[in-house]
Amino acid sequence: MYAVTMEEFEGNPDRTAVSIEPIELIRRVAEARDREALTRLFQLFAPRIKSMMLRLGADQAQAEDLTQEALLTVWRKAHLYSPEKGAASTWIFTIARNLRIDLVRRHSSKPWVDLDDVELASDAPLGSDTVEQSQIIARVAKAIEHLPVDQRKVVELSFVQDLAHSEIAERIGIPLGTVKSRLRLAYERLRPLLEDLH
Amino acid sequence: MTIAFHPDISTLMAFSAGTLEEPYAVVVATHVAMCEACREQKKRIDTIGGAVLASAGEAAMSPGALDRLLARADDSIELTRETSRSKAAADSRLPAPLASRLAGGLESVRWRWSGPGVSVADLPVSPGVDGRLMLLRVAGGRPVPEHSHGGQELTLILQGAYQDRFGRFGVGDIADHDEDVEHQPIAEAGQDCICLVAVDARLSFRNRVIRALQPFFGL
Ligand SMILES: [Zn+2]
Repeated sequence: MYAVTMEEFEGNPDRTAVSIEPIELIRRVAEARDREALTRLFQLFAPRIKSMMLRLGADQAQAEDLTQEALLTVWRKAHLYSPEKGAASTWIFTIARNLRIDLVRRHSSKPWVDLDDVELASDAPLGSDTVEQSQIIARVAKAIEHLPVDQRKVVELSFVQDLAHSEIAERIGIPLGTVKSRLRLAYERLRPLLEDLH
Repeated sequence: MTIAFHPDISTLMAFSAGTLEEPYAVVVATHVAMCEACREQKKRIDTIGGAVLASAGEAAMSPGALDRLLARADDSIELTRETSRSKAAADSRLPAPLASRLAGGLESVRWRWSGPGVSVADLPVSPGVDGRLMLLRVAGGRPVPEHSHGGQELTLILQGAYQDRFGRFGVGDIADHDEDVEHQPIAEAGQDCICLVAVDARLSFRNRVIRALQPFFGL
């Protein structure tokens, strides 16, 4: 469900070697079992995924394990990725996120029939004409920073802290309806940046 | 299929963030499977989610992490259970998120009488999940037994249609109302109207059915 911006990687001279779009790396993994491509995916995504896990409340060891599992899943399921499901980086973050949700639900005796597996699975072949939408993502990330604070906060609590809308309402002491209207307002502000997404 | 009614954008945002309780997530996933517009919408929202996480920064992996990954990256290719299962079991007339829970299709549903012209059937959800997922079947011309809402309720039309003050809800349309919305949907004459409904578990739907029917039948 999540995507990552490549902007910072491209701006970093140490990492110019990994500026190949993730979609191409996934294709190489899927079609050629290319371990070099996997290495590049690791360099691109592992630190991001680990950071995300830490922010979501995992400890160091868990965050490290979940990141390993996420990339291993990318390796094993690369052939199931299809560009029409969204950006490649979105797909990778979806995998990482689902692994964490699985873990949390196992520990809270709240198992989850894996809805997202249905979504992730696809027979569609890897497209060749879809390019990574990394510039759009960079644009959106910048726009999120400029959202009014109250809107930005509900967006972050929802997408980063994983809180249900009712939990967000409790957490910041506002009515549920206000949480929803702030999310709607945030979306309306960001949507113009997403028109050319495909 | 022309779909006129979609989930609220905040509902799609919760779906994308993975914070909807399972029954609601199934209803939204089923609608999204039927609705091109919401698939586009969801792509945009997913991108927002990704952009939010992109600002989460980076955390260095421990030394040797890459080597451990490469050591585990064998040549096996994993085919997900879901792919084969949904292919084998799915009623092709049902969207995949629903078909996997309704192996025999709508014909195999074991309906339970729940009032004149109204039957319900619960669908399985994971243990411990808050909320109820069910099918609701209302005979043509009958009132749909939802009256006033308490807690979130999502209703997706799978067959037939109903009308209320918001308009006509046909196949693929979803009713995503705030909890204080009052309305009285009536199933269109003719074919039974079958809906997929997610409700808050704390409210007994059956009690609400009875409450809705009270004025007519004095139950
Ligand atoms: Zn829709």
